Amino acid sequence: MNCPRLKNWLDERYDRKEITKLAKSKLVPEHRHDLWYYTGGITLFLFILQFLTGMLLAFYYVPHVNFAYESIIEIVTKLNMGWFFRSFHHWGAQICIVFLFIHLFGTLLLKAYRKPRELLWVSGFILLGISIFFGLSGYLLLWDERAFAAVRVATGGAGAFPIVGGFIKAFLRGSIDVTGDTLLRFYAFHVAILPIITLALIGLHILLVQFHGMSVPLSLEKRKLRQVPFFPNVFYKDLMIWLVVLGGVVTLAVLLPPEIGVKADPLVPPPANIKPEWYFLFLMQTLEFFPGTILGMNGETIAILCVSAGILFFVLIPFIDRKSARGEKSTLFTWIGVFYLLYFLTMTLVGFLS
Amino acid sequence: MKLNYSLITRRTFLNTLFFGWIAAFFSGTFYALLKFAFPTLGKEPDFVVLDRKDFTNLAKNSVKPFPWGGTVGLYFTKDNGSVMALKGVCTHMECNVAYRPDERKFYCACHQGWFDDTGKNIAGPPPKPLEIFEISEEGEKLIIARKGVKVELPKA
Repeated sequence: MNCPRLKNWLDERYDRKEITKLAKSKLVPEHRHDLWYYTGGITLFLFILQFLTGMLLAFYYVPHVNFAYESIIEIVTKLNMGWFFRSFHHWGAQICIVFLFIHLFGTLLLKAYRKPRELLWVSGFILLGISIFFGLSGYLLLWDERAFAAVRVATGGAGAFPIVGGFIKAFLRGSIDVTGDTLLRFYAFHVAILPIITLALIGLHILLVQFHGMSVPLSLEKRKLRQVPFFPNVFYKDLMIWLVVLGGVVTLAVLLPPEIGVKADPLVPPPANIKPEWYFLFLMQTLEFFPGTILGMNGETIAILCVSAGILFFVLIPFIDRKSARGEKSTLFTWIGVFYLLYFLTMTLVGFLS
Repeated sequence: MKLNYSLITRRTFLNTLFFGWIAAFFSGTFYALLKFAFPTLGKEPDFVVLDRKDFTNLAKNSVKPFPWGGTVGLYFTKDNGSVMALKGVCTHMECNVAYRPDERKFYCACHQGWFDDTGKNIAGPPPKPLEIFEISEEGEKLIIARKGVKVELPKA
């Protein structure tokens, strides 16, 4: 396709050469750890898929306590391809969170967070938090008994936070208990508030990556690495990997459609084997460690404070790890990273098996 | 006393006026936004009125749920025929508890919390016993109230 008139039209208005030059100037270093570079692109691709399938589902979903559950049953049983897109949206979210964690721990262990990329780390971490909130708000929309119990626990847990807890809880629930008001609120979070924030943060995150360029692991920083152009070499590789990921999500969506539990009823206890989504399992296991009262204080509040302190330290790692900021080997923080990773993996596994 | 020069410059004065005005404007705006975003919360009921005939001749060693505000209350008939009413919500993270008749305990599935048949927390993370209600009867009405609450029924 060669449209001289269109090119001409554009050239008269924009400096196309400058844009091409800019695109060509983007180089990516090539080394034995460069596979980690693709994890961020994969999450971006999955985010795009979630936006698209989410827009489709919004055509049919009814965010009302009396019809929400029924409208999802209708989507998966009566609408053309409804079963597929709901299943796809579910699996897209799961895989997206998997890759977010891989991207996070890759960045952590390769110390790509070190100076000058601290803000990249922070914006990425906020994106992870938002994604988890996306997950929680998304699965309340099902309005089945598992979602109902999970949201009670999550919002109740936020309520155990000292001083501001009550406000957060009221803000999230929109009422004293998890009710139809909560459903509507979570719908607003899921389809309006979180997507806008996500778009802005992804924009910032990608802009910062362009500004700083790709981070090279400390061990390879001194060496002279071959640089390959992003367009087209790396971009084509990105596309190939995205295609594989798309294939994976479609396969999961077709073969393992997610179950829809019994409709939520505030008068009925949750099923005995209830478990939250896998990315909350490590939190659930941690909460079970803490007894009801510790030295006369509320165990729940202490548990929430401990978890918050752990997460806060995690976010602040780039600012605390002075050694890697100076470009020196930082073994202590490698071990801290390994500890976080192992804690997350073992607790998730224990939660899964128990 | 008359000063020869002003203590504040014209610029400081105008800046204060300008940013003060901006601060006032935005705090008003945010206050309104926050007021709207935070709903006026209802409160938990002090008592609920149930129909007495729904809660007579219940099987021993069983519970029957009743709505307690937005959550659940449990009307518990013990082995010896005595009854008690309690809030069926775990004191740990607010999941509903289930009665296990063969073990004579209440169980919270969310984080494996246990309560005995008096509502006392005996195992797992729950920090407090289940809330026990007072039961009273008035004609055909069964009134379940929080402890120490004076029930005043509206005149029908």
